[in-house]
Amino acid sequence: MNSSMLKRGLRLRSTLGPIVCGLAALVVAAACIFIFGYLIQQGWHALNWTFLSTDPQPSLLEEQAGGIRIPIAGTLILVILSTLLSLPIAVGAAIYLAEYLDERRWWTRGIRLGLEVLAGVPSVVFGMFGIAMFSKHMFTVLSSQGAEGAQAAFGRSFLVASIVMGIHVLPFVIKTAEESIRSVPVGYRQGAAALGITKFRALRKIVIPAAAPGIATGTILGMGLTAGDTAIVWLTLGGTINFATDNWWQAPHWLEVLRGPGSTLTTFIYFTSPAGEGNATGLAFGAAAVLVLVVLVLNLAALLIARLSAARG
Amino acid sequence: MSNAGIATEERPAANRTEALLADLDTAAKPRRSRRPSAGAALTIDSLGVSYGKKQVLADVSFEVPEHRITALIGPSGCGKSTVLRCLNRMNDAITGFRMEGHVSFAGQDIYDRRVDVTELRRAVGMVFQQPNPFPMSVYENIALAVREHNPRVSRHELDDTVEFALRQANLWDEVRSELKRSALGLSGGQQQRLCIARALAVKPAVILLDEPCASLDPISTARIEELLLELSNEYTIAIVTHNLAQAHRICDDVAFFLIGELVEFGPVSQVFDNPRRRETAEYVRGSFG
Repeated sequence: MNSSMLKRGLRLRSTLGPIVCGLAALVVAAACIFIFGYLIQQGWHALNWTFLSTDPQPSLLEEQAGGIRIPIAGTLILVILSTLLSLPIAVGAAIYLAEYLDERRWWTRGIRLGLEVLAGVPSVVFGMFGIAMFSKHMFTVLSSQGAEGAQAAFGRSFLVASIVMGIHVLPFVIKTAEESIRSVPVGYRQGAAALGITKFRALRKIVIPAAAPGIATGTILGMGLTAGDTAIVWLTLGGTINFATDNWWQAPHWLEVLRGPGSTLTTFIYFTSPAGEGNATGLAFGAAAVLVLVVLVLNLAALLIARLSAARG
Repeated sequence: MSNAGIATEERPAANRTEALLADLDTAAKPRRSRRPSAGAALTIDSLGVSYGKKQVLADVSFEVPEHRITALIGPSGCGKSTVLRCLNRMNDAITGFRMEGHVSFAGQDIYDRRVDVTELRRAVGMVFQQPNPFPMSVYENIALAVREHNPRVSRHELDDTVEFALRQANLWDEVRSELKRSALGLSGGQQQRLCIARALAVKPAVILLDEPCASLDPISTARIEELLLELSNEYTIAIVTHNLAQAHRICDDVAFFLIGELVEFGPVSQVFDNPRRRETAEYVRGSFG
């Protein structure tokens, strides 16, 4: 054996490097597991049907404090409504950006810059914008009148929160949707063009369906953002726990519910935490555990869709 | 349109070589007698093309005869694919594309503002180097294009058209029981024949092919060459190819391009056996490119 090939002592950096990186990964994993584990351990009591299906009751005693049915419903309403509002706009904008916008024009960079800026606006700033804008009298339809004969709208309701939240996640969903559309093979578009199929029809029938898994992934991740946001919801939903009316699950009351305030899991956690007005940490942890599970399920669903579509190729 | 003599996947390997040799032999024989060409399907007159500041074609003039197979040959970068794309205006989508001169189809200048490009592309179809079936079933691949040009087509008519197109492309027997299967699951050669079927389904007059066999194995290539020979009885075919043997095997006329210019155009026997220009002689004898 040629002696020059034998190992020449410990190469310190090459051996230590992977170890240090491994430790960093370990720290991240440990933090994840610890936080998650602690939440589940503290909030374990919440994961029973009674807790999930009972409305919160105003009471200083934890045993009589009820459950988190309303906050759960609130989160669901917010997520569904904001997605319904923002998805068509996001997909439309993504299609325009990917397929029709001429990259050479000067205003193209302006549009893209605007999207980047929008993406960077802190959510609490969005919340302020929401209250300020939707308190204007013309937006009374979105929230209740407020005091009798007042000049301004109340400015806080599920409708308002959903609109503001929809705008907040818009840059993110547009970005993922645009990337999905761009990554559809150019051969499809060429083949369609050569057959005399118009560009828009090719988009509708071939490109967008092919990009659908990517768009779905982006949308679901956006839902996760919505479910987890606190600042916007706290500011634009009103600081109450209950909906505007009892019997909120009945259809005739839905408009009233949407135009009124309420709570979501995030605001409920804030409310019942030591920092909020209530002080029922048991409830807070319970809601936190449920919320973390919701977000986890959403992320896993997005991952699953991405994997399945990649496998189908 | 029989498949006799063509190796299928079920044949034992020992017979495949015989079958392949038989195929190549068939393709090299003198072609079946053909109807005399009725004239030019496409006329290219003083065509010049530039992308931005870069001139890629200059003063190209020739005719693509009807019911014939015309080859466009030349080394890489000579502009033959650009010429092909001018014939169905696929170059329109390329930024910076500018052209001068005229291209006529059926007596009409295809670059006239009043021309409906989608109708042009129905009549002048194109098949690409990489097969590009849509990510849907075999049936839908063909049906999509048919419905585009005939929105009120009935289900019954559609079924007939799909079968007709697949038969014409020599693909029917292989997919007839699996029309709903995803086109992406077909082999490369089958996908390319599907792309040809797709183009045929909208009843074109001309089919343009840009190196259609470049990504296929020899057996699939032989099958497509035989298919093109059959199709040339009914359709006009123009094919860009790097494969001189292929050009010699199946083409009637040859256009030889070099650095953006048409150097020579003539019948295949003349261009290969008796070229008028020195560059042509050097190219067809394999001295370069």
